[in-house]
Amino acid sequence: MKPVFALRNVSKKFGRQLADDDLSLEATPGQVIALLGDNGAGKSTSIKILLGLLRADSGDAEVLGMDSRLQSQEIRRRIGYVPDKPALYDWMTVTEIGWFASGFYPHGYLETYAEMVREFKLPETQKIKNLSRGMQAKVSLALAMAHKPELLILDEPTSGLDAVVRREFLESMVDVAAEGRTVLLASHQIHEVERVADTVAIMRQSELLTFDRLEVLKNEVRELVITHDSDETFGFPFPDHEIASRHDGRQSVHLVRDLTPSQMATLENHDRTVHLEQRTPSLEEIFVGYMSGEIRKENEKAPTTEPEISA
Amino acid sequence: MHFLIDAHNGIAIYDQIARQMKFAVARGVLRSGEMVPSVRELSKQLAVNPNTVARAYRVLQEDGVFSALRGTGLEITSEAKAICQSERESLIRERLESVLHEARQSGLSATAIKQHVNDLLQHLAQSEGDSA
Repeated sequence: MKPVFALRNVSKKFGRQLADDDLSLEATPGQVIALLGDNGAGKSTSIKILLGLLRADSGDAEVLGMDSRLQSQEIRRRIGYVPDKPALYDWMTVTEIGWFASGFYPHGYLETYAEMVREFKLPETQKIKNLSRGMQAKVSLALAMAHKPELLILDEPTSGLDAVVRREFLESMVDVAAEGRTVLLASHQIHEVERVADTVAIMRQSELLTFDRLEVLKNEVRELVITHDSDETFGFPFPDHEIASRHDGRQSVHLVRDLTPSQMATLENHDRTVHLEQRTPSLEEIFVGYMSGEIRKENEKAPTTEPEISA
Repeated sequence: MHFLIDAHNGIAIYDQIARQMKFAVARGVLRSGEMVPSVRELSKQLAVNPNTVARAYRVLQEDGVFSALRGTGLEITSEAKAICQSERESLIRERLESVLHEARQSGLSATAIKQHVNDLLQHLAQSEGDSA
């Protein structure tokens, strides 16, 4: 199957600052992909490279079979894009901006836009500049979706908006996915993402740490709480499987991935193990684990303070 | 019907939907012969990925709670209530088992656990008697 979009070994630097480091991502139709990461992780850069708004230093990007570098305009006409800070002509009214935008899209745009305006309860005759931020975001979403794009890209669309607006955005995304269309969502709202996404990409400092189906991620990652015989630091025997750990006295907590049953048995029968418990972490815990895990790059310092664990 | 989905409680969302549907059938909120909302409707209502809802529906079909209705959708089967009630019992049994396991692990003897259970049952019967 042809990917809806793809980034292949994409790297991008701003001056000496690396934004994307050899990034590869691919989407199949109907997927809802969440792109998670802290600020400056490279989420927006990746999206802008896909849209052809930024040029990658190396690697390829394509959307709906078109080269992002060469066919940026056509890509933006075919997909829907809600940027984090939408630049709308704010002297237009809600209806006027729909008319204006419909000129760029095929027939039927205006009807769908008007439907969404009604659904979102937007005041048709009000000027955009007099609308609340939540309403402006909804205008931006309606504009991005009125041509029923095969791919909807949202870049932190609801950061700082109230729960009601965020919910409406989620419902719209679910609707898009239900029709077999694809959604790429960069977000900070992890517990909301957990409901709607089926695939998760986690980025940190320009690097893609994991790109997996949410189900697979949740099946493979476990949190282990080990009680030891003494408070001497426990060297985890399978460091390649460890995402993050913290130690507190006689207990240590390890976020691990893909441990085999025999590796689990080794831990359970370890000389120093008094008790071992395992549980399934939430996406938020997995995310925090990936964000706090030891950084393998040389110019970074490992976290010096250990968070407290409640025993 | 009303759902409470918590993405954080460690139970997969599809499982939460399936369980809550079964509880609703067991309680008579959903009755046999009634149509089930479409995957699209329910996924939008819950703001949950449509595949997740579809998976919950598959489970409910496999368990004999839903059946396909001539290509128009899913309906609740005539045996659904009996199935859901027995399933509810087995879920409660599972929860009791995990509590008992915890009690044993903490070092309580079987006699002590039985004593607690009897006390609690008696207590419950009393408060039910008070409210009746």
